[in-house]
Amino acid sequence: MIEFNQSWLPFIYLYGVGGIILIVGIRIILKTNALNLSIPRHKIWLIILFFGFVFYCLLHFIFILLALGSK
Amino acid sequence: MEISVGSNLDRIVILGYFAIVMGFGAYFGKYSKTTSDYFFGGRRFSWWLITISIVATGVGSHSFVKYSTKAYEYGFSSTMTYMNDWFFMPLFLFGWLPIIYYSRIRSIPEYFEKRFNPIARSLATLMILLYMIGYIAIQFLTLATALYRIYQIPLMLTVIIIAIVTTIYMHYGGQTSVIFTDLFQGLVLLFSGIFLFILGLEYLGNHSSVSGIQAFWENLSPVEKLPFAHFNKPPDFNFVGIFWQDGIAGSVGFLFLNQGLIMRFMAAKSVNEGRKAAAINVLCILPIAALVVSNAGWIGKAISNLVPNALPVGMDPNDVFVSVTNLVASPGIFGFIIAALCAALMSTADTLVNASSAIIVNDIYQPFTKNQNDDKGQLKFARISSIAVKILAVMLVPFFNSFDSIYEAHGWFHSTFTPPLVVAVFLGIFWKRFTSPAVIATFIGGAFLMVLGQFIPDLITPLAHGIELRPGRGYSYIGALYNLIVCAGVGVIVSLFTKPEKNEKIQGLTIFDVNNLKKIFKGNDPNNRPGEKVSVKLKLISGDEDRVHFSQKEMFLMSAEVGDLVYISDSRKWLGGLKSIHSTYGETHSEEGVVYLTSTHLEHGHFMAEKLLTAEKEM
Repeated sequence: MIEFNQSWLPFIYLYGVGGIILIVGIRIILKTNALNLSIPRHKIWLIILFFGFVFYCLLHFIFILLALGSK
Repeated sequence: MEISVGSNLDRIVILGYFAIVMGFGAYFGKYSKTTSDYFFGGRRFSWWLITISIVATGVGSHSFVKYSTKAYEYGFSSTMTYMNDWFFMPLFLFGWLPIIYYSRIRSIPEYFEKRFNPIARSLATLMILLYMIGYIAIQFLTLATALYRIYQIPLMLTVIIIAIVTTIYMHYGGQTSVIFTDLFQGLVLLFSGIFLFILGLEYLGNHSSVSGIQAFWENLSPVEKLPFAHFNKPPDFNFVGIFWQDGIAGSVGFLFLNQGLIMRFMAAKSVNEGRKAAAINVLCILPIAALVVSNAGWIGKAISNLVPNALPVGMDPNDVFVSVTNLVASPGIFGFIIAALCAALMSTADTLVNASSAIIVNDIYQPFTKNQNDDKGQLKFARISSIAVKILAVMLVPFFNSFDSIYEAHGWFHSTFTPPLVVAVFLGIFWKRFTSPAVIATFIGGAFLMVLGQFIPDLITPLAHGIELRPGRGYSYIGALYNLIVCAGVGVIVSLFTKPEKNEKIQGLTIFDVNNLKKIFKGNDPNNRPGEKVSVKLKLISGDEDRVHFSQKEMFLMSAEVGDLVYISDSRKWLGGLKSIHSTYGETHSEEGVVYLTSTHLEHGHFMAEKLLTAEKEM
């Protein structure tokens, strides 16, 4: 039996704390206009910033499910 | 355990590899004419060139040994440190990157002087130089440890030979040589790492990769397949400690403070190309790199479960990379994979040496020299200092060799030098209120409290997340959280009790001015109207003014005006911007499809008269 401390807790901690850092970072760059959504290229960058987070989150999620389902 | 010393064929392959890299690097030396070329490659390269060369810089020779050891002991969780770098990307891509690119800062210590004062610059120079020279010494030591067993040359002599080889190829070339050799070496190390994985799968599947995948998966336990370590145990490999040490302090240190990496981004032709390089590196290349550096350990674990006596009984986990490579690769191939280890060392060391000499020239030589404009003198000094850096690194090797392991030496280094710098640069960029006395207090007071934490581990216990305290050895990774908190605490408290900096003094040096950086860089309002790229032939004109001239038609297509900035490159995209220049639009002429350039432009861009050029408005 795999402990929660080894499977889901690190996942929750990583994407919880990491997610806060990402959101605060995006908020700062939007507030300071460093990321200016009136520029089309910057809109794409905003999507990429969220995509990167979701990409890694999904990758780790799938690996944990595969590991938990294996013998 | 006695490690295989390889065959003569392996030795020839490794020697051949060294020769190819030296020739490659020396060839690109012709592209370094000024200190700007030498350190920044002339700010002209495409994102893909920067991306691959960053991989080679990030993956050091210690990576193969260190991560395959952890992979053998703990499984897929060895990849944790390669897959936790995304969180700081917004602040890096849209905060730090435009600041360093547009403010024309040549080194991180220079930022400290502009943002704070000369004392802050001196302290940052000292800490960053110590960090980088020590890092180079660790790289030398790792590779020498592997190579001296193969060639049976004494360790220190092997270190000296490696230092000489890297000196030869980057002495004349500087950043351009570094970028192109790192492109080559990055591809070699990615290819060889994946190749080793395939060889391992074939071994497990009895010459079939498909059945090898099944055998590989079935011979790892569920715990070994988890992508994270246990939350807080064991003390020497746990999730939460590594998250704070690597995911937070390490990520900020690597993205914001690694002078070598910063110089690589400054070699990009534009900020947007730098952003692309960074994003693709973290999203696509780092997961592949994680596989490349770890797979020998996973394969080794699967082999030891499937065929218990295949690997040496009682093998030290630190030897798993060489043992597995020796087991699954035939003579010649073994040499090729060890050559990849050489690639990892040389590509990391060359970047750090180039970066160290940039700091020595910019932050030690320049402030004290009478002739600030003597570019040739500075270039000569840069080359001499790169040799001096290597000599110092070689001298430090015995010190690092005295640690129990390279992993421990590397960890000690990171935890000692990174936190005060990380806090200082981070607060400097994102908190206007952060003052000059506060940054000095962060360096000195923060360092004092860090040392105190080493001697009194109970200070760290409330932040330890339940990690066990090792008697006599203290906490390892989670110490980074304590170090960050005390450094930040000192910085914030001192800031609140000291007078804020004037807005004019810090203009363009914090994220709050990023929107104005283009204007500061250009000298007047940037032209943001979208325009097209145009293909033109070149025509040589006399004079040496840094202005290029297009016809009205091309100016219209590019949406450009006289005084705007322009980037012109050889239209062959595979050159990645190697032959290119930045300049300013001058008055128009009447010859459509032609750009007027001076001989200085021609020489600097290495343009060929018969080749088409591509021009685009920069801003």
